Amino acid sequence: MKKIILDQVSKKFRIGFTKNQTALARVASTLSGREPQKELWALKDVTLTVDSGTILGILGENGSGKSTLLRVIAGIYQADGGAIKTNGKIISLIGLNIGLQDRLTMKDNIHLCCSMFGLSRKTIRERFDEIVDYAELNEFTNTKLYQFSSGMLQRLAFSMAIHCNPEILLLDEIFEVGDEHFKKKSTETLKKLVGKGATILLVTHELWMIQKYCDKAIWMEEGKIKRHGNTEDVIPNYLQQKPVNAT
Amino acid sequence: MNLVTIMTDFSAKIKNFAGLSLSLAKAEFKLRNEGSYLGIIWYLLDPLLMFLVLLIIFSGRMGEEIIHYPMYLLLGIVMFNFFQKVTLESTRMIREHRHIIKSIKFPHKVLNSSVVLKTLLSHLFEMIVIAAFLVYYGVGLKGLLLYPLILIPFTVFIFSASIILSSLYVYFVDIENIWAFLSRILWFATPIFYSTEPGTRLYTVGLLNPLFYFLTVARDVVVYGQTPETWLIAGGVGYTLITLLIGTILFKKLDKRLPELI
Repeated sequence: MKKIILDQVSKKFRIGFTKNQTALARVASTLSGREPQKELWALKDVTLTVDSGTILGILGENGSGKSTLLRVIAGIYQADGGAIKTNGKIISLIGLNIGLQDRLTMKDNIHLCCSMFGLSRKTIRERFDEIVDYAELNEFTNTKLYQFSSGMLQRLAFSMAIHCNPEILLLDEIFEVGDEHFKKKSTETLKKLVGKGATILLVTHELWMIQKYCDKAIWMEEGKIKRHGNTEDVIPNYLQQKPVNAT
Repeated sequence: MNLVTIMTDFSAKIKNFAGLSLSLAKAEFKLRNEGSYLGIIWYLLDPLLMFLVLLIIFSGRMGEEIIHYPMYLLLGIVMFNFFQKVTLESTRMIREHRHIIKSIKFPHKVLNSSVVLKTLLSHLFEMIVIAAFLVYYGVGLKGLLLYPLILIPFTVFIFSASIILSSLYVYFVDIENIWAFLSRILWFATPIFYSTEPGTRLYTVGLLNPLFYFLTVARDVVVYGQTPETWLIAGGVGYTLITLLIGTILFKKLDKRLPELI
């Protein structure tokens, strides 16, 4: 089953000096008639099909369009051209920006973030213990997040994401999280998810991670897919042309 | 897609929207009261102090001509507070949530509805104080029982204003400062501690102010126990519909592009 189908998808941004203007500056630039803007194509005619049960690695330099591609697939950004079709519930973990609130307890954060991921209040109550158990944070239910280490936050975010029924999981620089024991556990969980038919898109600069976990990979450059294929073909090709960046 | 599927989808979306709004409102409520031992008292202290100050200054002057002036004044302060708190928070809402807007797909209007819900809760606490005052001054609670009929369109109006102001952040990053200033002017332009008489310039200008209609209708019902004039009700409903329409159009235009514009 095809989980993600992108057909000639393009996305452009207007990079201008008029962004984030104060009211006075906005009036001045409108009156002067000068609003210098530059168009940047973050994605250009991207065509891609991802089957269910696949872990697809996305590699490329900064600004090559990797995160934009995830955001377009997640429906956060609207594409300016082409067609996108996805089958299944999408959960995006783009950094740790999933609405975690430092000044709230872990319990409150679980209720808040799982709501953002589309879980009903009843389901959150039912899965609450599972989420906490999986993250191995049972002792910290009523602790506020500012007292958590970054590893604890990652474990919590990861646990919430996998307990929200993802059918398409979009991970930006988050895959192996926590200590060695948790890394092993999280990787096994992801493999189980994939075994059940979920699709994972993994954006990372860590080539070894793509080599280790991904069946397929794409190499992005200037908003386009430069190579798409089996990981063992794409990575050597990338290393050959980008030896400095790959170290 | 048949009608049943459409209806089921729609009801699931509404349920999801309501659940998410409630979760956000609860979280924001807790964040606001974090470490506060006085808790809910703070919600009441601000309008009560304002009430006391204004009562002391004006009860012997313009308040003399107004029947049940303390009630008239307190209801005005509490209703304006509801409007002001929501709208001020709306101007900074997009900035404060920009990271999550760029990371997760969710209906952005839940940010507005959660602020409205949270502030509605404190408004209801303030209404309990009003109820106590109504009993103390011998006005009775009969009119207050009808207040929800006014509160529903008033809340819709405030929600619509919230949508407009939060959208304007995309165009003007200093909308927070601009609105803080404009809302202060609106405070003075709204008959909160004074009343306006038909035929005066202030009264005519006041007709352009949506809050004038809501405050007058609420005072007629809650404080004076009388049926408000139809044109006043129509004014409130009309302004609500216009604001909702403008808010919806503006938000719809911006909503899809919001994550990339901030």
